[in-house]
Amino acid sequence: MSPLVNIIVGLAMGLNLLALGSSRLPSVIRAMAVQGVLLGMLPLVIETDFDWMVMLVAVVTMAVKGVLIPTLLRRAMRAANIEREMEPFIGFVPSLLLGAAGTIAAIAGARALPLLTEHADTLLVPGALASVFTGFILLVGRAKAISQVCGYLILENGIYLFGMLLIHSTPLLVESGILLDLTVGVFVIGIIMDRIQRAFDSLDTRKLTALRE
Amino acid sequence: MMSGPLLLLGGIGLLAGIVFGRRRPRLWLVATVIGNASLIVAAALVLSGPDDWQWRNGFPIGGELLHFRLDGLSGLFLLLLGIVGAAGAIYAREYWSDEHHAESAPRGRAWWSAMILSMTTVLLSSNGLHFLIAWEVFAVSSFFLITLDRANREVRAAGWLYLACSHVGTLCLFGFFATLAARTGGWELGPMREQAGLAPLLWLALPGFALKAGLFPVHIWLPSAHANAPSHVSALMSGVAIKLGIYGLLRFSGWLPVPAALGPVVISVGAVTALLGIAFAFAQDDVKRLLAYCSVENVGIIFVGIGGGLLGMAHADAPWGRVLLAGALLHVWNHGLFKALLFLCAGSVLHATGTREMTRLGGLWRTMPWTASLFALGSVAISALPPLNGFVGEWLVYLGLFDASTSHGPAAWAAMPATLMLATAGALALATFLKAGAVIFLGVPRTRAAGHAHEGGRLMRGPMLALAALCVGTGLAPVLLWPAINRAVGVWNSSWVAGAPPAPLLTLGLVNLTLLAAFAAGSVWLWRKAHANGFRRGLTWDCGYAAPTPRMQYTGGSFAGIVTGWFAEILRPERVQQRPRGPFPSSARRIQRAPETVLERVIAPAAAGVLRVSSAARRLQHGRVQFYILYLTGGLTALAIIVWWGGIQ
Repeated sequence: MSPLVNIIVGLAMGLNLLALGSSRLPSVIRAMAVQGVLLGMLPLVIETDFDWMVMLVAVVTMAVKGVLIPTLLRRAMRAANIEREMEPFIGFVPSLLLGAAGTIAAIAGARALPLLTEHADTLLVPGALASVFTGFILLVGRAKAISQVCGYLILENGIYLFGMLLIHSTPLLVESGILLDLTVGVFVIGIIMDRIQRAFDSLDTRKLTALRE
Repeated sequence: MMSGPLLLLGGIGLLAGIVFGRRRPRLWLVATVIGNASLIVAAALVLSGPDDWQWRNGFPIGGELLHFRLDGLSGLFLLLLGIVGAAGAIYAREYWSDEHHAESAPRGRAWWSAMILSMTTVLLSSNGLHFLIAWEVFAVSSFFLITLDRANREVRAAGWLYLACSHVGTLCLFGFFATLAARTGGWELGPMREQAGLAPLLWLALPGFALKAGLFPVHIWLPSAHANAPSHVSALMSGVAIKLGIYGLLRFSGWLPVPAALGPVVISVGAVTALLGIAFAFAQDDVKRLLAYCSVENVGIIFVGIGGGLLGMAHADAPWGRVLLAGALLHVWNHGLFKALLFLCAGSVLHATGTREMTRLGGLWRTMPWTASLFALGSVAISALPPLNGFVGEWLVYLGLFDASTSHGPAAWAAMPATLMLATAGALALATFLKAGAVIFLGVPRTRAAGHAHEGGRLMRGPMLALAALCVGTGLAPVLLWPAINRAVGVWNSSWVAGAPPAPLLTLGLVNLTLLAAFAAGSVWLWRKAHANGFRRGLTWDCGYAAPTPRMQYTGGSFAGIVTGWFAEILRPERVQQRPRGPFPSSARRIQRAPETVLERVIAPAAAGVLRVSSAARRLQHGRVQFYILYLTGGLTALAIIVWWGGIQ
């Protein structure tokens, strides 16, 4: 199973860097969506026996992460009338470098972890760590709420990758629960973004500091 | 037994007082006075009879069954509460009347009844939870009474300081009662001397009660609160409220086992409090602040007595311990009476002249003869001069201290310095009240307001006269009060229950009577002689000035100057001085102020430091979501590192 899995995870890691390096919001959303679809395919690759439950979850995951959430985000983006992340806290090149360093550190660090032998030769753990780290960079380094939602989703993708390690012991039902939470979360954030947009005429979260009390 | 129905009547009267206080002032007065009178009678019945009053009810409040108990100790405090409560209520009708304080007078009446009711509940509660609830209501109602005149900034500041200090104390008490409940398995209170493991708990109770009592150095709330409260409230606060701190300490040191070091600690803190309290009092210019600091001194004297009692109990129930404890209890009673009287007199002066600053007063004895003579009487009592009551209580304390000092034990090491400090404090107290009386009432008026002073009406004079009469009565016949004191001592330590008063008490009463008779005879003789020779009015001390002005008088500051200098290290008086220069000086001035050193030099800088640190920490909360996530990441990483590190080890 390893070669295919490694290729998929490697692609996802590349998409991380794409999301970090691009200033246009549509490409960030697209990177995230493609990553979601790729990861949705993983259970089908890992699970050798055909199981209709696995199948169902994989399809739903791909549909939600690849279609539903990106559609919602694009709509929000159009409503807010923003295309670009203009003033990130951490610039695009520095965040790209940080992400690359994080990816390398994840691969190096994963070797030090006491993993099962069957996981040791896959990219699952480094990929998960790298995605989580990318998500954090996006959350911390971006000013626009939409970019932060993307960061949050990439972070979730990393957690999902971790979940793949336990695919034999955790029912995919748990993962589908997480997926449901995520969708609701994106809905809520979408609504909040809409409200913020109407109230402040901007989606720049830096302008929300007056709400700190 | 009659006490139960009487206490019920008292409670109903005070509740009616809370209800009627806002709209029906006359009904409030009647209800409150009836309520207080029934409290007085109930307490007197318990004090004179052999039995305690107890009442349990199946009705739970906060999950605990009601349990009230009135015994010798709480009875003594309840008696004092009833007397001062009634006197203050009558006084307030004229002093804080609806005409002059239309906005605050109705509130003041309701809170007055509430405060007395809550203090009564504190005294009666025999359940830790209910004690705490009543204690809190008592603190809050006194806060609202202190801040009656809340339009004034200083008054609000004093109120907040009081509230903050009071809650620090309550926090200690929460710890105390909760730990006690956890150790004993219930909130029920009662004698539990035999459970030796409970002894360290008193170290938690001591700061809690000392804060309320105003012991040095946690007296910081007391001067400003007493000075800025309306005078009848100051009288209740100083006369009774701070005594509840003393009650608490006595109650629980009487019920719980006592740690061995508690006696020496209490006696030495008390002695220091007495000395420093009166040193601060002497330096004050505000008459009510002076009285407030003097309360600190008297609380110190009482604590010396209590500490002596604890010490005596630890030394195989030595008889001098009994004398010291009796002296402390007697002084609680006495101080409650004469300090209330003095605060009411100060209120009368404030009412007449509108100022508390002694340097703006003077010569008031011509226009306010009643207040002047009652203040003089109170001063004699508080300076512990015979034949009044202050002397009796302090004399017992001294007797006990002398016996303890000559007992050649370790107790002597605690008693000897306390004796010396107490003696110094006594001399300074006399000087303080000489200063207060002389600057306010003697000489000539220093300002126009002081010149146009007028005596208060009957409602103000009556309570003052009643309190004065009680002071004189206790001084002349202390033996009459002895059974009550003995009851309280017996409740505290049952092996000291022996009925006979210390023999000197009877002699002392006789000596006081003789002194008073001699004083009266001398006065009559002087009066006769003066009348026979005729009067000629003139300046008291002319000193050869050609054109004396009111400014050529001793001020309070100049009177206290030397002693303030002795204690300058602690008092740290602040001076602004501009000396006259040249042959024809155009201006010169000298302003002296005695700050509250502990508050302004210790607590305030420390609080400012805490505030700086916390406002620096507040910068972390800037409202940027991105950084909050960074904090989260940092925290998670740190946790991971800790776990990883732990795994390696």
